[in-house]
Amino acid sequence: MQWQDEQRGGGIVALPTGRVDESTAQDFSAFLEASVGQAAETPAKKLVVDMAGLDYMSSRGLRSLTLAKRKADGLGVAILLAAPNDVLREILAISRYDKIFAVSDSVESAL
Amino acid sequence: MLVRFWGTRGSLPVAQKADVIRGKLARALVAAGGRSFADEAAAATFIDAELDFATAGTYGGATTCVEIEAGAGAFIVCDMGSGLREFGIDSFRRMAGGHPRVFHFFQSHMHWDHIMGFPFFGPAFVPGTEIVIHAGHADAEQALRRQQEEISFPVPFEWLGATISFRTLAPGEVHRIGDVEVELMAQQHSHVSYGYRFTDAEGKVVVFSTDSEHKIEKMEREANVARFFRDADLVICDTMYSLADSVSMKEDWGHSSNIVAIDLCHEAAAKRLALFHHEPTYTDEDLLRVHGESIRYEELTREDSPLEVLCAYDGLEVRL
Repeated sequence: MQWQDEQRGGGIVALPTGRVDESTAQDFSAFLEASVGQAAETPAKKLVVDMAGLDYMSSRGLRSLTLAKRKADGLGVAILLAAPNDVLREILAISRYDKIFAVSDSVESAL
Repeated sequence: MLVRFWGTRGSLPVAQKADVIRGKLARALVAAGGRSFADEAAAATFIDAELDFATAGTYGGATTCVEIEAGAGAFIVCDMGSGLREFGIDSFRRMAGGHPRVFHFFQSHMHWDHIMGFPFFGPAFVPGTEIVIHAGHADAEQALRRQQEEISFPVPFEWLGATISFRTLAPGEVHRIGDVEVELMAQQHSHVSYGYRFTDAEGKVVVFSTDSEHKIEKMEREANVARFFRDADLVICDTMYSLADSVSMKEDWGHSSNIVAIDLCHEAAAKRLALFHHEPTYTDEDLLRVHGESIRYEELTREDSPLEVLCAYDGLEVRL
């Protein structure tokens, strides 16, 4: 799992790539929380997670999103999920995570 | 090894109401499309071949009670939910056929939905029956005696005719009980709960892990859970909520999700998972959907051997 982020549209856009599973969830969580901290310093106070580069995410990754959301809520930061592939979109629906996170078709529409 | 599910619902027993049965019948008749059947056997063939389980049957509504048949010796039963009443009736039939009159119970914990069947467990009233209640909880006896005090039930515990004993088991040890080896694992739940790992003489393994929350802040502990589930032939797992519910409004309610259960079973290389401790507000259609989604999630996240995902229902038998 690789991670890149950049300032864009007044917030932070993060681009994780690869798989988030038992072996990579801890790194994913650490990157996410750091990006939440960065997003708190931006005018839009928004973190868009561009999921286009993610192949797959297990429950560990989903729950890392929840931990990051808790930190984000405390800092007034909104986390939005963008451009999940078909597999991730199904996983978000099956887990009902699409009910607790906003999911957009593209990064642009999330910004 | 044979596993029989006598009660699969969580928290509270539920029953089908007339309008629900009427809806099932209406859907079945529409599916039949005007066909006629010569007899009930022909109708049953149509039901089995063409109707989904939510139309053709029901997941049931008795609270948790699972029997493990692992040899010719004593009965082995996990939890005393309302499903225990029907198990008790069936055990009379088998004891009349020569089955030993000995019962080993293994209690996940002593919350009401897991003990409410005991006052209606017929063999407990019969002298000559031996009942051994195994629990990780030292206060198991207090819970069962209190349930039958006058204010709650007319028959006090002391009036029961069976010889009843209690045995507190320690986690981290292998206990040889009846025809199985048993290990325990403490689980996250109010007043703690325990998971059980049973191994029979042929090496078949069933894990009973209900009322177990996998805390979001303690995900590193899940490696221990996966070790407890390792290579199991069947894992019976608390899957009461969606993952989203389990980490939001129902956090700290002491339960888990289908998603986490599948991930743990994958990590453990378990062969089968039985979704269990069903949410009482879920209809048969809800449970059918959750079952289908769980099978799909398993397909999407599978890396090695397939995990067969079952949805436990009252009356299900799984031979291992």
